[in-house]
Amino acid sequence: MMSPSRREFLKSGLGSTALLATGGVAGFISSRSGTGDMVWQLDPNICIQCEKCAVNCVLSESAVKCVHSYSMCGYCDLCSGYLEPGAKDRDTAAENQLCPTGAIKRTYIEDPYFEYIIDEKLCIGCGKCVKGCGAFGNGSLHLQVRHDRCVNCNECRIARSCPSQAFRRVPAETPYILRGEEGMRFVKQIPSLQK
Amino acid sequence: MVKMRLLFKELAEDRPLLRKMAQRTAWISGVFALFLSVLLILNYLQFKTHDPLHSPALTQLMQQLQSDSENQALKEQIRALDLLARKAFFIHQWQLRTGSFLLLVSIILMLSAIKYLRSLERILPSFDSKAATDELLLDRLSSRRLVIWSGAALVLLAFVAGLLSENQLKDPKAVELAKTGPSLEELRQNWPHFRGPDTNGHAYADSLPTTWNGSSGEGILWKVKSPKPGFNSIIVWGSKLFFSGADEQTQSLYCLDVTNGNTIWEREIKDVPGHPSELPDVTKDTGFAAPTCATDGQNLYTLFANGDIACVDLQGNFIWSKNLGLPKNHYGHSSSLVTYNDLLLVQYDHGESKSLLALRKSNGKTAYQTKRNDVQLSWASPLLVQGSGRDEIILSATPFVIAYHPSTGKEIWRNKCMDGEVAPSPAYAAGRVFVVNEYARLAAIDIANPSIPLWIYEEDLSEVSSPVANDELVFMPSSYGTLTCLDALTGVKQWSHDFDTGFYSSPIIAGDTIYLMDLKGVTHLIKAAREYQLIGENALGESAVTIPAFMTGRIYIRGDEHIYCIGS
Amino acid sequence: MKKWIFISLLLFVSLSFTQVLQRFPKPDFQSGYERPVMQTPAPRSLVLEYLDVGVLLLVLSLTTYFAHRRRSRRLIFTMMIFSIAYFGFFRKGCICPVGSVQNVVYSFFNADYVIPLTVVLFFLLPLIFTLFFGRTFCAAVCPLGAVQDVVVVKPLSLPKWLSSVLSLFPFIYLGFAVLFASVGAGFIICRYDPFVGFFRLSGSFNMIFLGGFLLLLGTIVARPYCRFLCPYGVLLNWFSRLSRRHVRITPSVCINCRLCEASCPFDAIHKPTTAEIPEDKIVLVRRIILICILLPLMMVSSGWMISRLYVPLASVHPVVSLAEEIKLEDSGLRTEVSDATQAFRAAGKSTADLFAEAHAVQQKVKTGGWILGGFLGLIFGFKLIRLTAYRRYSEYEIDQGDCLSCGRCFSYCPVDKNGQTIIRLNTEVT
Repeated sequence: MMSPSRREFLKSGLGSTALLATGGVAGFISSRSGTGDMVWQLDPNICIQCEKCAVNCVLSESAVKCVHSYSMCGYCDLCSGYLEPGAKDRDTAAENQLCPTGAIKRTYIEDPYFEYIIDEKLCIGCGKCVKGCGAFGNGSLHLQVRHDRCVNCNECRIARSCPSQAFRRVPAETPYILRGEEGMRFVKQIPSLQK
Repeated sequence: MVKMRLLFKELAEDRPLLRKMAQRTAWISGVFALFLSVLLILNYLQFKTHDPLHSPALTQLMQQLQSDSENQALKEQIRALDLLARKAFFIHQWQLRTGSFLLLVSIILMLSAIKYLRSLERILPSFDSKAATDELLLDRLSSRRLVIWSGAALVLLAFVAGLLSENQLKDPKAVELAKTGPSLEELRQNWPHFRGPDTNGHAYADSLPTTWNGSSGEGILWKVKSPKPGFNSIIVWGSKLFFSGADEQTQSLYCLDVTNGNTIWEREIKDVPGHPSELPDVTKDTGFAAPTCATDGQNLYTLFANGDIACVDLQGNFIWSKNLGLPKNHYGHSSSLVTYNDLLLVQYDHGESKSLLALRKSNGKTAYQTKRNDVQLSWASPLLVQGSGRDEIILSATPFVIAYHPSTGKEIWRNKCMDGEVAPSPAYAAGRVFVVNEYARLAAIDIANPSIPLWIYEEDLSEVSSPVANDELVFMPSSYGTLTCLDALTGVKQWSHDFDTGFYSSPIIAGDTIYLMDLKGVTHLIKAAREYQLIGENALGESAVTIPAFMTGRIYIRGDEHIYCIGS
Repeated sequence: MKKWIFISLLLFVSLSFTQVLQRFPKPDFQSGYERPVMQTPAPRSLVLEYLDVGVLLLVLSLTTYFAHRRRSRRLIFTMMIFSIAYFGFFRKGCICPVGSVQNVVYSFFNADYVIPLTVVLFFLLPLIFTLFFGRTFCAAVCPLGAVQDVVVVKPLSLPKWLSSVLSLFPFIYLGFAVLFASVGAGFIICRYDPFVGFFRLSGSFNMIFLGGFLLLLGTIVARPYCRFLCPYGVLLNWFSRLSRRHVRITPSVCINCRLCEASCPFDAIHKPTTAEIPEDKIVLVRRIILICILLPLMMVSSGWMISRLYVPLASVHPVVSLAEEIKLEDSGLRTEVSDATQAFRAAGKSTADLFAEAHAVQQKVKTGGWILGGFLGLIFGFKLIRLTAYRRYSEYEIDQGDCLSCGRCFSYCPVDKNGQTIIRLNTEVT
């Protein structure tokens, strides 16, 4: 119904328009873009340890793991992050351990202090210990997205299901939100938040 | 090596053999892939139904251990099961990883084989049979029709879905409109309920008097004689003070001027529809007017031991009255009233019928009645938690402490922690409820996680007096004179002090001072701190069991004989 | 202003660190014990992210060169395998241009969101290439397309009525994805990405199941996701129609030999038409005029319908769903509390603010619904016009919108670059 030449003319006109539009979009978006990258992280101050991190990650072993800010730890013998509530003995027996996978290593340091180290290979990121530590201890245990595991999905599946909306995108230069002195080294770099 | 190369060369040239190999590879890897998929799906389903890390068997054993903590065999069993569960979990993870990797490999193999086989086929270009114009025409016609129909179907679907959807949020202002009655700030400027504006013993008034003496008249602004007996406490709204009194024949409401104690009005509550002819059972400790009145700044509500409930306005004009049924209560009914939005809430536990009643403030009609027959009689008053998140009305009785939604009466949570005949009302601060009864325990419940008490404490428990709490500490007086202070989070005892006289009145916390009046009418002022510190002791000059009302610069106390206004 | 924000942010952060309640004091070790250092593995380095853009550019250029100059299906196939390996299995699917649409839309409507430049480039590069050379991105660069392309075994030609209707779905998908991304309700394209689970060798059961189904279907219906679902494909389809140069079946002239007639698994080859239009021209013109008159009506009605759906649509937004939960609990209609409401209440935020925010989202979705409905009405109208109007083809021609530049038809053409007819013994079927 349309002659080929007219079609060609229309096409090239529209084509140029599309090119211009793309350029326009590119211009506008680059005004809002930053050269850095953004990665997912969870804010331990908002996290409620609902245990969804353990199961909702797209990876079959979650990218969220428990980390330990040793600077905040009280090195308690009666560790509410390590021991099952109401545990009779303070030892490493299964019935006294809170961690379902036995991922926390308890070592005697000196009287009356004990060191707790997370074995990340075993940690599933359920946050049971974080809850215990936060409720009765110093809150030195907390959950974090581990960036050696996270594949940085465009839409994080845990973020979507997080009931307290603790997940957000953070600049890749400051990829952790940590408690205690450990967190300070990621705070110093905050100027990079600016575009 | 050379031999191998030759062999390969031979193989590569042998097309039929290669074809056969490819065919076999395709088949084998295909079947293997299918097998793996089935295995993976089964593995997934099994994990979904029996998550080893949430093993019910293990949870059960752990619970068993709680009550039987020295059972070595049980411990061994738990250890074995725990090891098994952890093994199962990590094996599942391994199976998932290995299985999906193998699946991928086999699919790649199958696809390559199939692709190779296809490349061997000599495929001649085929021609499309339907080139005829009329068929093209028919195609376009049916396409158009289908596009129109599917568009129409989608629009219809959207229409139906739109009809079915209902906006729960609507206008955000609607939420505020539903709240009738005074705001929390208004309530806190007055003393509208039993145990103050928040029904939890918190006073917000400042410049409160600290020294007085009822006998010498020091620090007493005025003092008038109680017109009629009644153990209910004083409530105050603005410049008016209210209380009720009753004897065997009559029951009345009184309104006094706070400035001089003069009676503004007095109203006898009579001709109540359904008024029972017989008198209720009461003891001399309860009397006929034990429940404290409530006001919302518009009206005044009162309840008597015979079930008569009445509403008058603040000028004393009669609005409505009714009888809730003669309570079968061996000590006499004593739960006080609370208002919430457009409702008047009554904990009406008696005889065989225990319920939470909500009456419309405007006409006294029942808005809802929530039966609670699985608890025993209770003499406590309801605790209304409002203003921070979800509003709850919490009722303490044996054996359950139950929280209800105040606007609907639906149960929110319950906790089985009470025993005996409960008289002390719950205390509340910072999301924690503290319930207590003598011969039972003091239990702290986190309302965000109410299933298990945070802690319990079992010494020097209160019998009549209600505890009071702030964000850090709980204070519990006993009827034989011991006041105990505990850490609110952990239940660790901070201190306790034995007074000479016991307590029936309940402590009120104002700022960092606790006002606690004993049975002889001496008010002890104690610092709300982790160390015991007595600030002062002020005698009323007569015995008292009610709870004082706290307004700016003033304290109103109803003694057994007189009403006092303390201030300067 | 920025400075102030920065300072207050710093202040806030340092405060929040100093205010942390330490219930148990720091131990004073006598034994010379030293605290272990917490390991904080860094995310993938930025250089590598830009390298990805470089790889994208390279693969796009190579594929374009192979399709246009070398006209070799085999080389295009090789690029496909590379893309599956690199963008798929190595980079695990994120970020991809298909999903980047949402980041772009989100940054359009949300000034706070700093969109990484790499994401912008991933969004733009394929579009620009398509505007010049057709959908060579789809041919071998997109891992989602490539993984479907390699599983094509015996493609069936779909009846026109079916493909006409199915090809409308990408518009609906794109429309909703843009709507949800613009109000911040989430990235549904990524949420329902069917193949990313394969690349990661893990994913939710539903995701893997959907992907497996599409791949199985893909053995007989070539590239079902690309043709009937892919939202980015909508943009590429439009841009490809306008492309300066597009691959052609024949390297020189078409001799109407019919050899390529059934070679396209995507039904993207137009056959030559008969000289005269088989229908009454006046009827046709009337029909088109009727559609044009009805077009505004269609747009308005579908706009109205979709905007009325703002309640369920908005509840995809986390704020709205939280507000709804809170409302349900506060009204006593639901007695058990969820983690989300508990967390919200524990944080001590005001419900009034939450309701106001949720209300604002709902209003945005309502407005967005009108626009989306209008857009979909327009698309349906255009589709009807396209199914009514005739276009003459004198020779076998590629449909520039639907053609994925996969290169399958090249080897069917018996004509060489110089217009000489050559005889081939075999055709490439990869």
